[in-house]
Amino acid sequence: MLFIAKAAIGAGATLALVGAWVFHEGIIRVDVDEARSGGSHVHFWVPATTVSTGLRLAPRRYVRQAADKSRDYLPVLREISKGLQKYPNAELLDVRDASNHVHVSVKGGQLYLDAVSDDENIHISCPTVTLEHVADRLEDAAPGV
Amino acid sequence: MNHSIRGLGLLASVALAVTLLLPVRDFAQSNSKTDQWIHVRVESKEEGGETVRVNVPVEMAVKVLPAIKHAPLHDGKVRIDCGHMDDVDLRTMLDAVRSSKDGEFVTVQGKEDVRIAKSAGYLYIHVTENNHHARAANDGKGNETHARSAVSKVDVKVPMKVVDALLSAGKDELDIVAALHALSLHGDTELVSVKDDDNTVRIWIDSKNVSD
Repeated sequence: MLFIAKAAIGAGATLALVGAWVFHEGIIRVDVDEARSGGSHVHFWVPATTVSTGLRLAPRRYVRQAADKSRDYLPVLREISKGLQKYPNAELLDVRDASNHVHVSVKGGQLYLDAVSDDENIHISCPTVTLEHVADRLEDAAPGV
Repeated sequence: MNHSIRGLGLLASVALAVTLLLPVRDFAQSNSKTDQWIHVRVESKEEGGETVRVNVPVEMAVKVLPAIKHAPLHDGKVRIDCGHMDDVDLRTMLDAVRSSKDGEFVTVQGKEDVRIAKSAGYLYIHVTENNHHARAANDGKGNETHARSAVSKVDVKVPMKVVDALLSAGKDELDIVAALHALSLHGDTELVSVKDDDNTVRIWIDSKNVSD
């Protein structure tokens, strides 16, 4: 009985640690709603750690292909992602007219992209630290950038 | 006894760590307070008109700009294409203004009032355009009934140190990154203000991370 209790405590503690590790980087959230009939509705969220870790586990040739395609933008992505981490709360861009509203901000270290119009609503959020991990990983795969 | 000494040692270590970390956090906070931000605000007064607000940390712009390799921008410098300047050597003009004493260099009065001056370490450019739109409406007795005048104002105020930094690059180049560095050291400044009947444009620099 004591053994089962110890095992349960161990399993619970492990689950708590794994959960804490999986969510320590934050969450990537994507919400897309198209207002037209038959329009797509995409809603998902994933722990940001899965992206960072996934890039490490993904076959090197795929990461290299992605890095080659984004080579021109990698230095900019790297600098922006590193720069944004210094500003955990900031309103970066706000564009609005009668029917459209685009908003880019950083809140609590999370980058938010919101585009709202009569036709569609798009809300994307991603931890800035994940952007840096992606930039670093792609740079590792494409040396010389 | 040994347990209590170990406990005290652990407590002391934690207290030391907290003491060491606190000033670092305070420094980080005070450092972020002095960060300068460039703000751009464009507002259209037309019905359903567009409003654009951009807030960018100067430090981030200084690091991101050199990473952009897209003509005419490279390494944080803009290449001036003399072919598109209508034979005006912008660099030489700015250089002449920089090296001259305070005063009013250009004054044009007419439909457009233009004033370019240098004073107390700042370069000022003021342009005021007066457009009189006389409507051809008539009240039936031969009198004009409605006339509208529109005034467009452009005010530019740039610290001369920023002009110096801008010209610090090679020939036919403007060093945007150096200019941003100089701007960030200069403190809160309103750089550009454009106002007319339909639109308002403001570009300014301060230490707030939102445009009020």
